[in-house]
Amino acid sequence: MQLSDSFFPTGMYTMSNGVETLFYQNKIKSAKQLQTLIESCIKMQIGVADCVALGNAMDAVSKSDMKSVIEIDQTLYAMKLVKEIREASVRSGIQLLNCMNSFTKNNLLNKYKTSVKNGTATGIYPVAFGVVSSISGISKINAAQMLLYSFSVSFVGAALRLGIIDHNEGQKIIHALKPTILEASKNVNEPMQAIWQFFPVLDIAQMMHERIENKMFVT
Amino acid sequence: MVSKRIPRLGIGGPVGSGKTMLIEQLVPRLVAKGYRPAIISNDVISKEDAERMKSGLSVKKGLLPEDLVVGLATGGCPHTAIREDPSMNLAVINEIQSKHDELDLIIIESGGDNITTTFSPALADYFIYIIDVAGGDKYPRKGGLGITSCDLLLINKIDLATYVGADLRIMERDAKTIRGKKPFAFVNCRTAEGIDNVVKYIVHDLLFEVPPKNLSKRGIRNA
Repeated sequence: MQLSDSFFPTGMYTMSNGVETLFYQNKIKSAKQLQTLIESCIKMQIGVADCVALGNAMDAVSKSDMKSVIEIDQTLYAMKLVKEIREASVRSGIQLLNCMNSFTKNNLLNKYKTSVKNGTATGIYPVAFGVVSSISGISKINAAQMLLYSFSVSFVGAALRLGIIDHNEGQKIIHALKPTILEASKNVNEPMQAIWQFFPVLDIAQMMHERIENKMFVT
Repeated sequence: MVSKRIPRLGIGGPVGSGKTMLIEQLVPRLVAKGYRPAIISNDVISKEDAERMKSGLSVKKGLLPEDLVVGLATGGCPHTAIREDPSMNLAVINEIQSKHDELDLIIIESGGDNITTTFSPALADYFIYIIDVAGGDKYPRKGGLGITSCDLLLINKIDLATYVGADLRIMERDAKTIRGKKPFAFVNCRTAEGIDNVVKYIVHDLLFEVPPKNLSKRGIRNA
């Protein structure tokens, strides 16, 4: 609960994941459109890429296999096509590791942090989340659900602050996303060979965000 | 023991109170003394302040490299970005520190916010809160964590006091009452009135009169 709470300091409230661009372009105007966008993002990116990396990172940590953790970290980093998204994910991941390290001492956590510090790993968020979830004794399926839930709340929160939806609509969307989250979380058991992502419409919106002059969000 | 942590100055205050202009006045004076600063500018809706400082302080005046003026969007939550969840600021600080150990201080400008703004102790070592007379002479006595808990309270735009019906004597009286022994000062960031005094506070209370790194390496004492 602590790790998936929006109060946990990872900076996710600063990310809109491209919604800000779509809002300024009048391409997203309703709660229904927003829900469809988040569902698509979960099905086409976060579920099939981030959750797969998360599950494999957790497996590797359980075997004390830091070499594989680093390979997964590098693979997922390479799959994040948009610079703002990559940077934000890495910054969140590193802060997650630092915060966790402030109240949990663990050899594998230290090894991963050291790898990030010396540049062999990036600290990208889903892998960092996998490391801290594994050493916390959280099951893979629960960790995937936590990751997807946090992502959904971050997305909805951004839309709320942009004025696309109101607070009740936000909760309705989160409620409606539950079946999608549950289904997508099963990807956590897929091998790394099964990892993929393909959502060019959102990629382009996220790339265009990098060129917006006046913006509220880092992504 | 020598700490590797570069001292961090947090500057907070309401929208339009003069945070950016204060930095634009402080940086040339600190650089003239040999100190090397970096700036992180949190902004609510744009990177305009960061771009302005990059253009003025870096490109035109050459006081610091462009990559040491960083703009940061706060997701519409300026106080969260510097207090409840300063993750993004801390991440940028770590990136700056890893590349620039020659720096003497890092200035963190908050996005414009309300009078309850405070900096997380994990983010800022010294906290300046700046208000201006145009908000009315009631401002200091209204309190709020920003005004009461900051290390130094600045009251800006004193030249406008007569035009907006603000009585500086009332502001002085109330600032003393509400802050006790903690310092406050009147400034005019446009004319630089009072700014040298602010620099003295920073050098004494944040930097502890330690000479700039580039001067101490050459065995030169701080002027």
